[in-house]
Amino acid sequence: MAKYSWSKLMFFTMLIMVLALAACGGGSSEEETTEEASGDASSEETTEESTEEETEEGSGEDSASGDVYNYEDFGMTVSNEGEPAEGGTLNVGLSSDTPFEGTLNFNFYQGNPDFEVISLFDEPVFTMDENFQYTNDGAVEFEVNEDDNTVTFTLKEGITWHDGEPLTIQDYVYAYEVIGHPEYPGIRGATDGFTLIEGYNEYKEGDADSISGIEVVDEQTAVFTYTELAPSLTAGGFWAYALPEHHYEGVEVADMAEAPQTRENPIGIGPYQVDSVTPGEAVVMSKFEDYWRGEPNLDGVTLSVVSPSSVANAMETGEIDLAINFPTDQYPDVEGMEGVEWLANIEGAYTYIGFKLGEWNEEEGRVNYTPEEMKMGDPELRRAMWHAMDNDAIGERFYNGLRWKATTLITPYHADWHNEEVEVPEYDPDQAKQILDEAGYEDTDGDGFRETPEGEPLEINFASMSGGDTAEPLANYYIQAWKEIGLNVQLTNGRLIEFNTFYDMVENDDPAVDIYQGAWGVGSDVDPYGLYGPDVPFNYPRYETEESTQLMEQGNSPDAFDVETRQEIYNEWQELMVEEMPVVPTLYRAYVVPVNERVVNYSIDLEYNEETLPYNWGVTETQE
Amino acid sequence: MLKFTIRRLLITFPQLVVLSVLVFIMGSLMPGDALSGLIDPNIPAEAIQARREALGLNNPWYIQYRDWVFAMFQGDFGTSIFHQRPVMDVIGDRLMNTVWLSLFSTVLIYLLGLPLGLVSGRYNDSLLDNAITGYTYLGFATPQFIFGLVILWVFGYNLGWFPTGGSVAPGVAPGSLDYVLSKINHLVLPSFAIALIGLVGTVQYLRSGIIETKQKDFIILARAKGVKESAVYNRHVFRNSILPIAAFFGYEVVALLGGSIFIEMIYSYPGMGRLFLDSISTRDFSVANVLILLYGFMAIVGALLSDIILSIVDPRIRIK
Repeated sequence: MAKYSWSKLMFFTMLIMVLALAACGGGSSEEETTEEASGDASSEETTEESTEEETEEGSGEDSASGDVYNYEDFGMTVSNEGEPAEGGTLNVGLSSDTPFEGTLNFNFYQGNPDFEVISLFDEPVFTMDENFQYTNDGAVEFEVNEDDNTVTFTLKEGITWHDGEPLTIQDYVYAYEVIGHPEYPGIRGATDGFTLIEGYNEYKEGDADSISGIEVVDEQTAVFTYTELAPSLTAGGFWAYALPEHHYEGVEVADMAEAPQTRENPIGIGPYQVDSVTPGEAVVMSKFEDYWRGEPNLDGVTLSVVSPSSVANAMETGEIDLAINFPTDQYPDVEGMEGVEWLANIEGAYTYIGFKLGEWNEEEGRVNYTPEEMKMGDPELRRAMWHAMDNDAIGERFYNGLRWKATTLITPYHADWHNEEVEVPEYDPDQAKQILDEAGYEDTDGDGFRETPEGEPLEINFASMSGGDTAEPLANYYIQAWKEIGLNVQLTNGRLIEFNTFYDMVENDDPAVDIYQGAWGVGSDVDPYGLYGPDVPFNYPRYETEESTQLMEQGNSPDAFDVETRQEIYNEWQELMVEEMPVVPTLYRAYVVPVNERVVNYSIDLEYNEETLPYNWGVTETQE
Repeated sequence: MLKFTIRRLLITFPQLVVLSVLVFIMGSLMPGDALSGLIDPNIPAEAIQARREALGLNNPWYIQYRDWVFAMFQGDFGTSIFHQRPVMDVIGDRLMNTVWLSLFSTVLIYLLGLPLGLVSGRYNDSLLDNAITGYTYLGFATPQFIFGLVILWVFGYNLGWFPTGGSVAPGVAPGSLDYVLSKINHLVLPSFAIALIGLVGTVQYLRSGIIETKQKDFIILARAKGVKESAVYNRHVFRNSILPIAAFFGYEVVALLGGSIFIEMIYSYPGMGRLFLDSISTRDFSVANVLILLYGFMAIVGALLSDIILSIVDPRIRIK
C-alpha cells in the first residue's frame, strides 16, 4: 500500500516537472544563436538581442504583461539628487553571456564588451554635443581652418596618464601612426578621419615612413593637413583616442593588441585606473587622484560580467549598482523592482525590410540597379507592402512599445537630422489593395493570390534571420499581413536563416531572396553613404539613382559643414527614400538601464554634461 | 599493458589527421568567416577584404590547412581573429577554469553517487531506496540549466551563501590563499549543479549492478562461508557492480573537460564550453580547430583511460 501511494506521488511530481519544462523549453534554444549581436556597437545586428527563459510568453499573440512603454517617459539621468557620500565603490554589471575579450585599449579592441570596460578607465580626447558634433571640452581642442584644409589640435596642459607620464600631443599622433601602420592588426584606419589626411595612404601602403600631413609643432600642438575637409570629420571622424607611446615602447605594432600592456596593465587618462584584471570576468579600478578634471568622487569602480539570465537578480539584491547591456525584453517582467530606477534612451539602430532591386557588379565594384528586371522593381508594389504592415502594433505586441514604428532611414537617434515631417505610408490594408489593383496586380487565376500585371504568378521570397523568441512570429506576422492584401510571400528556404548564412545569401544576391529583414546600427556620423552609396557592398538592395547619390555626396561635401545646409540635404534624402523605397524602415528601438537608487550623477544621455561625467559619479550610502 | 597503451596512442594519430581535415572542409563549407560578424557601415568593405586577404581567409581550404599544419609543427597554433591573441593563450585562460570545475564535479559525482547507489542497491525496495530512486528519476527529468538557475537563485541570491558568478572574486591577487579559497567558493554552486544532476546515471548503474550481483552464486557462497555482511558488500558485490561505472569513467571525465555550456553561461564562468560554441558561431576557426583537435585527443585518451581502469577493476578482461 505504501508503495502504491509513493508511486502516485512520483507520478504527480513528474507531471509537475514536465509542465515546468514545457513552460521553460522555449527560451533555451535561442541562447546559442544570438551572440552574433555582441559585435561592435555599430555593427550589423541580429533582429533580436539575447533573450532568456522568462520571456517566452512575449512570442504569443499577447505579451506577458500587456503594458506598453514609451522610452520618452523614462529619464536619462538618475533622479537621486542627494549629496554623494565620501568615497564608496560603484559596482557595474556588464550583462553578457560571453566573457569579455580583454583587448583593453580603444585603439585595438573589437567587441562591445571590451569597449564598455575601456570606457571606465580611458576617455576620448574630444567631447560631443547632442548632434554628435565634436566639441572642445575634452583633453584636446581642435580648430578647423577651411582656407588651407588644416586642423590644429591643441592639448590642454597638465594631463597625465595613469602611470604619471604626461600626455603629449605625440600620443595622439601616435594613435594615427599605429592604426595606419601596414602591420596594424585590425580594420580601423579606413574611414575619412584617416584617409583624408595627406600622405596617409602612402604611409599605410608602406611607401612612406611617416604621415606627411601630420606636423607636430610642440608638446601640446599638432597641425594636420587634409586633402578635403568633410563634415564627417567633426562628427566622429577625427580619431578620438590617444595611445601612450611610452607604455608600448619596444612592442611591435602587430603584437600590441595581445601585449600585456593592453591585456594586463592597461592605462588611460580617465578618472579611474585599472588595479587588476581577471581575464574575461572582472576589472577592479580605483580612483586616479591626478585626473585632469578633478579628483573623482568614488574610491573606485568594479566591473564584472553578469549572465543575462541572472542580471535582474543581481540588480535586485544590490550586488551590482547598474547593468550595462541589460536585456531590454526582460524589462516588462522586472520593472517593479524595488530600489532600482530605470533609465532609457534611444538606440542608434533600425530594423528594415529590404527589396532586391539589382545585383552587385564585382568587376566595376558598384551596384547594377535593374529594377525593371526584378520582382520587386515596381515602387507601387513596395508601397502597397508598406501599407500592409502595422508596425505600431508590432512594437506594442512584441516589444511592449520599446520598439516602435520607424519612418525614415535617419533615426531619431540623430535627433537634429531625423526628418519628422516626412509622410510615410500608414497601416491601411484597403489602400494597399487599391494600390495593387491600380497597378495591375490582380488575381486572374482565382487562387487567392495576385498575379503580376503581365499575368505571371507572383511569389515573393522573404529571407529572415533566426535569433530570439520574436523572430519567427514576427516573420509570420508580416507574411500574414501581406497575404491579406493578396500577395504570396514565402520564407526563403521555408524557415528562418542563421545569421552568417543570411548575410551570405543577401550579400551574394542569392536569387532565392527577393525581400529580407535586416537591421543596421548607425554610428555617430549621420552620413548614410556607407549603406546606400552606389559603390559600397553594404548597399544590399543594390539601389542607385543619380538623385540619391548626389544628395549623399553633397551631404558629406565641404559645403555641408554648415549644419543647416546639411540638415536640408538629408531631409531631402529622407523624403526621397520614402518615395523610392529601396528599403522600408520598420522599427526604431530603445534600450533600458537599471540603476540602483543610491547612485548619483549617472546618466546615459550622450550629450556632454560636466555633472554626469564619470569622475562625478557617486553613491549616497556606502554598502558594507 | 604498455604495448597496448602505445598501440592505442599510435592509432590516435591518423584519427586526429582525419578529424582535422574533416573539420577544415566543413569549416570552409560554412557560410561566413571570422570577419563577417564585423559588418559595419563605418568600415569600408575594401578594408575588410584587405584584412581577409592578409589573414589568408580567401585561400581554398587545402592551402589554409597546409599553412596551419606547417605552423603547428613549428609550435604555432595560430592566432584568434576574434580575441586578437594566440589561440593557445585564449584556450589556456579557460582551460584551468574548466579543469577545476570538472575536477570538483567529478569528485562530487562519485563521492555522492557511489554511496547512494550502494545503499539503494543493498536495501532495494525499502523506503530509502524509493527516495533515492525517486531522486534519480527527478534528476533524469530535470534539465541542467533549470536546476542551475534554481540553485543559483536559492543559494546565490536569496540566501547569499555563495557568489553568483565568475570564477574568482575581482581583485584578489593570484597565488594567495585568498585566491584559492575564493576559487573554491566560486566553484561550489556550479559543480553542485553539475554533480547533483550528473550523478543519477552512476546511482542507477550501481543500484542495478548491485541488485543483480547480490543474487549471484558467489555471493551466496560468500555468505554461506560466513563472511560479514559489510564485507560481502564492500568487497565482493561492490567490486563486481562497479564495472559499468568504471567503463564510463574515462568518458565522463572527458565530457566534463569539454565544458558545460549551460552551467558556464548561467554562472558567467569562463570555461571551454562557451569558448567552443562562441568560436563556431563567430567563425573563429583558428580557435575552433584547435579545440576540436583537443577534444578529439581527449576522447581518445578517455576511451583509453576507461579501458585501463576496467582492466584494473576486472582482471577477467585484462588484455594480454
